[in-house]
Amino acid sequence: MKISYQWLLELTGLDWPVDQVADRLTLCGTACEDIVSTARHMKNVVVGEVRDLKPIEGADKIRLATVSIGSETMDVVCGAPNVAVGQKVPVATLGAELAGGLTIKKTKIRGVESSAMICSQAELGLSDDHAGIWVLEADLTVGESLVTALDYDDYILDFELTPNRADSMSAIGIARDLAALAGVRINYPTYAINEDTELSSDHVSVAIQDTDACGRFTARVIKGVTIGPSPWWLQKKLIASGIRPISNIVDITNYILLETGNPLHAFDLDLFGSNQVLVRRAHDGEKFTTLDGKEHTLTPDVLMITNGTESVGAGGVMGGLDSEVKDSTTNILLEVAYFDPSVIRKSRRHLGLVTEASQRFEKGVDPNNAVHASNRAAYLFQELCGGKVLGGIVDNYPKPFAPRQVNLRPDRCRAILGAEFSAGRMKEILGNLEFEVSGSDPIECLVPTFRHDITREIDLIEEVARIEGYDAIDDADINSGPLFTPIHLEDRFIDDVRRVMTSAGYDEMLGHGLAHSKDAARLEADVPQLKIINPVSEDLDIMRNSLVLSALPVVAHNIAHRNLDLQLFEIGKAYFPPDNSGAGREEDRLLVLVTGSTPGSWRDKPRPCDFHDLAGALENLRGHFRWPQPSFEPATVPYLETGQSFAISLEGRSAGVMGALDPATGRKFDIKQPVFLAELQLSSLLALSDRQPVFTPLPIYPAAPRDLAMIVSESVRVGDIIDEIRSVAGGLAESVELFDLYTGKQIPKGKKSVAVAISYRSPERSLSSEEVEQKQQDVIAALKQKFNADIRDKQE
Amino acid sequence: MSLAEEIVQLEEEALERIGSADSLDSLGELKVRYLGRKGPVMAILKSLGQLPPDQRKEIGARANALRSKLEARFEEAARAFEETTEAASIDPTLPGTGNRIGAVHVVNQVMDEICRTFYGMGFEIAHGPHVETDHYNFEALNFPPDHPARDMQDTFFVEGDLVLRTHTTPVQARELERRQPPMKIITPGKTFRNEEISTRAHVSFHQVDGFLVDEGVSMADLKGVLVAFCKAFFGEGLKLKFRPSFFPFTEPSAEVDINCFLCRGEGCQLCKYSGWLEILGCGMIHPNVLETAGYDAEKYTGYAFGIGVERIAMLKYHINDIRLLFNNNVRFLRQFL
Ligand SMILES: [Zn+2]
Repeated sequence: MKISYQWLLELTGLDWPVDQVADRLTLCGTACEDIVSTARHMKNVVVGEVRDLKPIEGADKIRLATVSIGSETMDVVCGAPNVAVGQKVPVATLGAELAGGLTIKKTKIRGVESSAMICSQAELGLSDDHAGIWVLEADLTVGESLVTALDYDDYILDFELTPNRADSMSAIGIARDLAALAGVRINYPTYAINEDTELSSDHVSVAIQDTDACGRFTARVIKGVTIGPSPWWLQKKLIASGIRPISNIVDITNYILLETGNPLHAFDLDLFGSNQVLVRRAHDGEKFTTLDGKEHTLTPDVLMITNGTESVGAGGVMGGLDSEVKDSTTNILLEVAYFDPSVIRKSRRHLGLVTEASQRFEKGVDPNNAVHASNRAAYLFQELCGGKVLGGIVDNYPKPFAPRQVNLRPDRCRAILGAEFSAGRMKEILGNLEFEVSGSDPIECLVPTFRHDITREIDLIEEVARIEGYDAIDDADINSGPLFTPIHLEDRFIDDVRRVMTSAGYDEMLGHGLAHSKDAARLEADVPQLKIINPVSEDLDIMRNSLVLSALPVVAHNIAHRNLDLQLFEIGKAYFPPDNSGAGREEDRLLVLVTGSTPGSWRDKPRPCDFHDLAGALENLRGHFRWPQPSFEPATVPYLETGQSFAISLEGRSAGVMGALDPATGRKFDIKQPVFLAELQLSSLLALSDRQPVFTPLPIYPAAPRDLAMIVSESVRVGDIIDEIRSVAGGLAESVELFDLYTGKQIPKGKKSVAVAISYRSPERSLSSEEVEQKQQDVIAALKQKFNADIRDKQE
Repeated sequence: MSLAEEIVQLEEEALERIGSADSLDSLGELKVRYLGRKGPVMAILKSLGQLPPDQRKEIGARANALRSKLEARFEEAARAFEETTEAASIDPTLPGTGNRIGAVHVVNQVMDEICRTFYGMGFEIAHGPHVETDHYNFEALNFPPDHPARDMQDTFFVEGDLVLRTHTTPVQARELERRQPPMKIITPGKTFRNEEISTRAHVSFHQVDGFLVDEGVSMADLKGVLVAFCKAFFGEGLKLKFRPSFFPFTEPSAEVDINCFLCRGEGCQLCKYSGWLEILGCGMIHPNVLETAGYDAEKYTGYAFGIGVERIAMLKYHINDIRLLFNNNVRFLRQFL
């Protein structure tokens, strides 16, 4: 919200520089985000008078104006249609820097030398009104600098208000904080109305059907107003508060809204259509056109101001088109009301409108200030529009709001803040904030009705703290809390997974968790999806139900940026629809993927990544966490290639899947190179991870190494061969390592050559060569029998 | 000069020249010159016969000692040259081989660092679900239904009357129910906001919230712990500014600015020439929150704070577009090895 700096000074009587006003307010919670000088585009701009106006040969849009700026008379080219002889106008002279970056220099337009310009309000940065030049008030002194002549050395202060402080949404509201900071009282603007003997109640009555929705409704009549521009003193405050002046009637309602925070609405009495105001809920299906020209179809969620039969306004949000004040208006029906915040929220949501009025009503205005605001507006209608204010106000206020009493215990305040503020100072601060305070322990406070946010003691403590300043609270240097801080197994597990993966050269990716249902469909996996009811965009309409949904777009993004070699992992959640208990279902997962080539080096040439690189990464993890031997069962995963996808389980517990991305699926994601990926369930793995190693004595007896080469069918798994060797050797095979694997020319089709190195060793004795030979023969016999292995002699 | 003196001088001269020889070749030349058949040592040995017998023995011994000493020195010096020659045949600038390491995602690095700093002050880590109930995300945190404060939260709704948590503060509400004071906890993790994706905003971001509940906790304790955190995390000598603010679940509430750690408060592009950076929100836990969780808010008080991880990461590493964090371009990821 924008408010004029000069206005705040006027209300408080302070003479603080603008930075001090902004800083102090910010440090009490009324954050001033921006300070803009109203005079920022008025340097070298002076008051001029148009003396003569001549056409320019060959130009019909522009004319040559002779303008006096006191010290000299100059020719100025002017294109505005509203320029006329005798007008006082703002003249930008050499060096002026106008809004939009225009700097006045000597130029030639149509052969005429010009070094000045007659300005519009827009060019002076005061409004977005480009319609024509700005015609100044006639009594200004020619030649005087515009800032001085207009008395406009002001600043537009832009406040970022928190939603609890409805009371700050006005000049007086902000001035109250400023006054409390300075320890002064507000100069409340006054009024002197010459009430007519004719009464408002002769013209209007007010009935409220839903008194919970509309707690108060005041109406009064002002007759005989003349529409015209507002005086400059009013316009300049509006402009410095970010509101464009329109006409005196509209400006007055805007001005009083800004001054008091109470929204007002002026109807054209003669277009109102009856002498009765009826506040009621809209009928279902009722049509209504707001004054912005939009037609709405209503429900009873919307609260309407009606004339008994027809709606004339959406209460607290926007008036209707038909009863709007027009240039021809002479008689006004002025409404100042109080509406319930939640009703206005629903209304404006239904209407899809956010207005100055709705913003204030939905946060809570002061119902007890309605008559004052009405009086201030009526006074200005009388003074500025020549209006005749009819006697009395029609005030329907069925359940008056009384100030709430909240008590403050000074000890409690000191305990919460950890600061030694005196009870006297607390009273003073609350008094300065216009609380009625009495007593000393507790301090009894009557909360002004503009402070809807103050409901319990803690709210008063905050008031004391924010006015005294948080700087007045010291930083304690004690460290309290429980003595022992555990590190949870889950967190350590995740940390370790991350460390093992990065040590193995994998980069960690991080998905945002949202995904596209179309991508999910591309995976063809029949997995339930958690749908987002109000997606921010249609390509983020579900929560990912697999980390693959985040990973494939990342792979595609990298490939598109020519990063073809990727080793990535992510630790994150997959999301599913709620279970029967209604709670959301989430699963912690680990995704690992490789694509492109291995990093390699100048010595070890890169080669294409494959399934076994992925397996290596998982074996690292298995080694670190001492997981049991996994078993791999062929699995049917729609997005993994048939025959190259496996379900992994550990001790019968399902742990995830791994395999090669189905190339057709890859192409749907614009991935045209092989990708190998694994997605594992971290909870299964964590459960198997807390295994302590037990020390094994280092070997003292020699090992007997034996190599064994064999030809077996391609379908025989090496893991099964190794398992068989271990089992036959009965604990004497200390290690069995695959050291060569070959398929090709020298091997019959459908067969492979497997060579393993077995190390025989006993922890208890030296093995005799006969014993080793016997074991080796047992192993060979078993392999022949079980796998039909053709054992090769070493010499071959 | 007697022969004995000549031998001493010869030794000094030869040793000095061996020491200053600059190559294997020049060393070879020197060796021929001193120990060769026409060299001075040989000349002395050859002249022994002409000496009186009483000197012959002594000079002979000295000359032989000199010869073996010089031979040893020549050999030693030559070996030193050979060794250096061999070492020079390695190019130490060749890239090392073996496995390169991968990068932890920069957001997780920063989140871990924040967590570690608070862990050092005795905060325990707790987690909660990302898909939350309205109760824990809002009601239990003193957001009444249909309250303007909810507008600040830009909430994603999902099926089953659930929301994607808009902050990690719901974990606070859950832990308050689950535990007994004193408790001192941080809640790191992913959160979601229904915001149009831009350079400054994303649908997802990470947060580290923290809170302490005990008897007699005050705002001074909150300030103390945050000052200590900032000192540890951002370094010494940076001022903090506590500005009153509003969060439904804390009162009094504050936003904390820190002196820009790039310009140290002088003003620069990072801090938009204000000298200050907004880094976190905090406050005293609202008694309504404690009471909803079943506590006697007269007896127990607490503080809470919340830090946006992406914001800190972007400030710390001068990252100008939040989308870079989620694109996962490996050239970006590997900048933060
Ligand atoms: Zn800076």
